[in-house]
Amino acid sequence: MSSQTATTAISPREKYYFLARRLHSLTGLMFSGFVCFHLLINATVLTGGESFQFCVEKIHILEHMGILVPVEMATIFFPIAFHALFGIVILLTSQSNMKDYPYGGNIRYTLQRLSAVVILVFLTMHIWHMHWLGKPFGGAQFDPANATSTAAAAMQSWSLWAPIYAIGVAATVFHLANGIWTALITWGVTIGPRSQRVAGYCCVALGAVLFVAGLGAVRGFMTYSVADGNETAAVEQVEESGH
Amino acid sequence: MSKRVKVNIKRQDSPDSGSYWQTFELPVEDGMNVTTILLRIAATPTTTDGEKVAPVAYDACCLEEVCGACSMRINGKVRQACSALVENLLKEQPEITLEPMTKFPNVRDLVVDRRRIFESLKRVKAWAPIDGYTPRGEPDRMSPSDQEDAYPLSRCMSCGCCMEACPQFNDKDDFIGPHAVSQAILFNTLPAGKPLESERLDALAEAGGIAACGNAQNCVKVCPKDIPLTVSIAKAGRATTIHSIKRFLAR
Repeated sequence: MSSQTATTAISPREKYYFLARRLHSLTGLMFSGFVCFHLLINATVLTGGESFQFCVEKIHILEHMGILVPVEMATIFFPIAFHALFGIVILLTSQSNMKDYPYGGNIRYTLQRLSAVVILVFLTMHIWHMHWLGKPFGGAQFDPANATSTAAAAMQSWSLWAPIYAIGVAATVFHLANGIWTALITWGVTIGPRSQRVAGYCCVALGAVLFVAGLGAVRGFMTYSVADGNETAAVEQVEESGH
Repeated sequence: MSKRVKVNIKRQDSPDSGSYWQTFELPVEDGMNVTTILLRIAATPTTTDGEKVAPVAYDACCLEEVCGACSMRINGKVRQACSALVENLLKEQPEITLEPMTKFPNVRDLVVDRRRIFESLKRVKAWAPIDGYTPRGEPDRMSPSDQEDAYPLSRCMSCGCCMEACPQFNDKDDFIGPHAVSQAILFNTLPAGKPLESERLDALAEAGGIAACGNAQNCVKVCPKDIPLTVSIAKAGRATTIHSIKRFLAR
């Protein structure tokens, strides 16, 4: 039936669906890598304001090279934008039946889609709140030159930011860990039930580490004293004494 | 012998009419299954309200869980009526509920139009191409390990349980369903099926093919034949990716 129509006229959906789904998986993995990096670096604030500042400055070496924005766009922004937009298409074709079939895999299937919606809302708020893209809309409170104190001030500017970030981190980490687990099946890496189970344990471990790091970072920025924020000077001192 | 069971059945008179519930009560028999219930109701179709109604329409054929005809939602979960024993069902809940499968167009009562199952098998060419005028000779021998992989997949009876339980198999998506993915993998494993391997992988890479799977893995949980459907799905994921890259590079 449909194979006959496919040979006569192939619709763009028919032609690119498989490619789009594979790219959706790939962009998810790319963004997972970024999130791991992001949460672990944020958690360095727990060891003091200057260690976070030091990490941010290392990243912003790319800015001095003039390639920070292109790198950010190519490896983070465009991949996640595609992942989010095509993710909505996928979301619209699902029909959760968790109540009738309350199996672990089925519950995770539904939570994967629920967390996606939470992340979409959270990420929009987070970009407005911290990233320079939010500047035209009155956001962008994070300044890489004074990374720790501006991030801390942004986090402490509203009593609801801490719970919002905690929920955002929880949704992101779940979506990431479960997404890696399903990506391993999608690409045919873990084929048998046993390898899928072991991969599941590994993803839970990764998720647990990232969740602790993410919550630690939220706590670190909430408790950082903005008043004596002299992390830039501290980093400069360290660098000078190192030379 | 004096024990009685209440059976709530979701009925529908025609494909276009609405559905309604009726309750029947009957004595429990030793080793009674759901097909027996429907048989007894057909003999004396009187509801608990004392109303004489038309017998409940249902599908059944082999009565030993090999034909796949009697799939329906029993106590909210899809399974075969012939192998669903009343004794076990009453351990789940005090009354039995019977509903038609929801993912296929209703014909009448518990009978559904399961054409989409066959259409999916046609899409992935789940057969060995043996038509023609010239003798093909013996196909290659299968290694014992290939036989062990293939045999469980050959138990599929196209009952539709995996599709019914799949959150991705619905009106909004054209997913072919776990059974068709598994049958494509089966016929790609069989030496006699090999000539169509590439065409099957092309079909699996189409919209509604393997990529539509959302890895909820309900299929493998509800499969009455314990077919390792998720193994077939992961194998199909790997094979279609490699096949598509090869296709792209050969252009």
